[in-house]
Amino acid sequence: MSPVVPNGIPTGHATLDAALPGRGWPIGEMTELLTDCSGQGELSLLMPLLAGAEADGNWRLWVAPPHLPGVTALAAAGVRTRQLIVVRADTVGERVWAIRQALRSGVCSVVIGWLDRVDNALLRRLQLAVREAAIPLILFRPLQQAQQASPSALRLQLSARAAGVLRIDILKRRGAPANQPLYLQGTRFNAPSATVATRCAAPPALALALIA
Amino acid sequence: MRWLALVFPDWPMQALFRNPSHTRPLAVAYRQRVCALDATALAQGVRPGQGVADALAIAPDLLVRPKSPEAEHSALREAAGCALRYTPRVVLESDGLLLDIAGSTRLFGGLDALLRHLRSDLAAAGFQALSACAPTPRAARWLARATPGQYLADDDHALAEALAALPLRAMEADASLLALLADSGLRTVGEVMKLPRDALARRDAAGLRRLLDQALGQRPDPRPYFEAPPQIDSRLELPVPRHDSDVLLFAANRLFNACCTQLAAVHAGIESCRLELEHEHHPPTVLTLTLGTPSRDARRMALLTREHLARLALPEAVGALRLKAAHWIELAGRSDDLFGPQTPSPARQQEAGRLLIEHLRARLGPDRVYALSACADHRPERSQQQVEPGPGTAAAVQGGRRPLWLLPEPRLLQTIRNQPWRAGPLELVSGPERIESGWWDSDGEASPGDALRDYFVALSVDHAQLWIYREHLPPHRWYLHGLFA
Repeated sequence: MSPVVPNGIPTGHATLDAALPGRGWPIGEMTELLTDCSGQGELSLLMPLLAGAEADGNWRLWVAPPHLPGVTALAAAGVRTRQLIVVRADTVGERVWAIRQALRSGVCSVVIGWLDRVDNALLRRLQLAVREAAIPLILFRPLQQAQQASPSALRLQLSARAAGVLRIDILKRRGAPANQPLYLQGTRFNAPSATVATRCAAPPALALALIA
Repeated sequence: MRWLALVFPDWPMQALFRNPSHTRPLAVAYRQRVCALDATALAQGVRPGQGVADALAIAPDLLVRPKSPEAEHSALREAAGCALRYTPRVVLESDGLLLDIAGSTRLFGGLDALLRHLRSDLAAAGFQALSACAPTPRAARWLARATPGQYLADDDHALAEALAALPLRAMEADASLLALLADSGLRTVGEVMKLPRDALARRDAAGLRRLLDQALGQRPDPRPYFEAPPQIDSRLELPVPRHDSDVLLFAANRLFNACCTQLAAVHAGIESCRLELEHEHHPPTVLTLTLGTPSRDARRMALLTREHLARLALPEAVGALRLKAAHWIELAGRSDDLFGPQTPSPARQQEAGRLLIEHLRARLGPDRVYALSACADHRPERSQQQVEPGPGTAAAVQGGRRPLWLLPEPRLLQTIRNQPWRAGPLELVSGPERIESGWWDSDGEASPGDALRDYFVALSVDHAQLWIYREHLPPHRWYLHGLFA
């Protein structure tokens, strides 16, 4: 077996990096995250990838996220939200098209897409496009699609084990198959913190009176 | 060698149709006589000067259009605009151009290279030209009309020789006068040159002698130079009204290429332009192409047009296309024009990003592609807004922990035994965080309860962390507002 070249982008989670052939998110390959539930820390997993003091003109694209991305939380994670392009697209065709345009443009450092039902032909097209683009492409897909064969290099099934513990089953990776699930403890944006009762800012009129 | 003459053969037709992609024979008629035709029509036996009825009898599927002086006028200006890229001194002729290339031949790597570039620019705009070079503008024009492909060096003797060999019809003079000369047995320009001056004067042909002197460079021949107006308004007719986007795109490309060459000539770019698709019975369909940044990239325009066409339902087939672009913006040439592509600079990346955004918007709709930015408002619904993607960091807003997913509208939660419920009881793990700002802008009808909420982080039975709140005032309903994803 040839030695593994660590050519991935570190995920920011040492346990996960250790289990991935490229020691991080694969570049020029599709990564599938299969999950059915929102709110288990599935997006926090990607925050280290999306954050970082990258130069202006490095775009990140989210295609068809299921909810509104929370700016406050993203900014707290170090993500530049003005460089994060959100694309709303209804049909699978539009979503795949938008992802391919983004990959082809050569201006995105990472593309994340949410796809429900998508056939293998479309996935293979994405696979070709991402190989050219040489960036990570992350696809969120429903759990039931885990049974379907896929050209992705990496497939992770995400679920919550307990509060703040994310369970990751590596369904597919390059090299030897993994048979142990991973448990990621308290990803940064999911851990409950101490109770804080915040009184919010005073109304502007009042604030002015105070300054005066 | 100083002047390059371009002559557009069958100009009334080129000006109207710009070498369309078609198979039917085409002709243009003036006063019910064919005055220009394409190769297909010629092959079927149609001849210039024929009556339209005769021509239609010979070629029944011949498409005949009336000659349009306006179309010729504006198309000639467009071609001149393209030529301005190669020299600032361009002269308009009735069906061609004269370019003073004394100063620019070396810059473009010799006459051959200059001609090659010029021809490909013109071809991209849908024009085909015959050309010739001579030391004087009139001689160049005559050569291009009669024996194109002659490129004379700066040599008086050679010039006189080349002119002498030209047939009489090469001279642009009054037709009846030329007929008179032909009747007197004269066949070439050389024979006219040999006639004594007073002999010509006796035949009311003194003007002819002046033309000859100008062609030979023995008399000044001043010409007004063309100046490009800082706007583009060009139109192109389709031989047959068409629906299919491939044909429309092909035709639009002619206009885009002409537009961009003209922009390059004056080092300008545009930020947006209008492409009007004209119909016979309906008002034109207008595509507004927003380029994002000042640009003169024809491919970019074509790309946007393709997306628009894919989305549009045309009310009727398109008979003609018209491109309008005003507001030229100064745009310096880019170094990669000369040295090839370089490592992308942040500015280039920004521009390419703009291109991607406009491309996505053209198909998906302008409001469906955006970035987000924080607002200074503590109400979660108003704490962020859609903004134009661009450089810069969003101002961080202080506050409690916020979820990565927000629901666009808070969703009412079931309550069972006074406990919020979502596929099982929700366990409150942190909170409350009271948010009570916002009553001051509720239009006088004060209902502070609207924004008076106690937020909690709750844990569901499937271990999801939710952001929920309870109304502070009765009936104390519970709502789901976000997910700690």
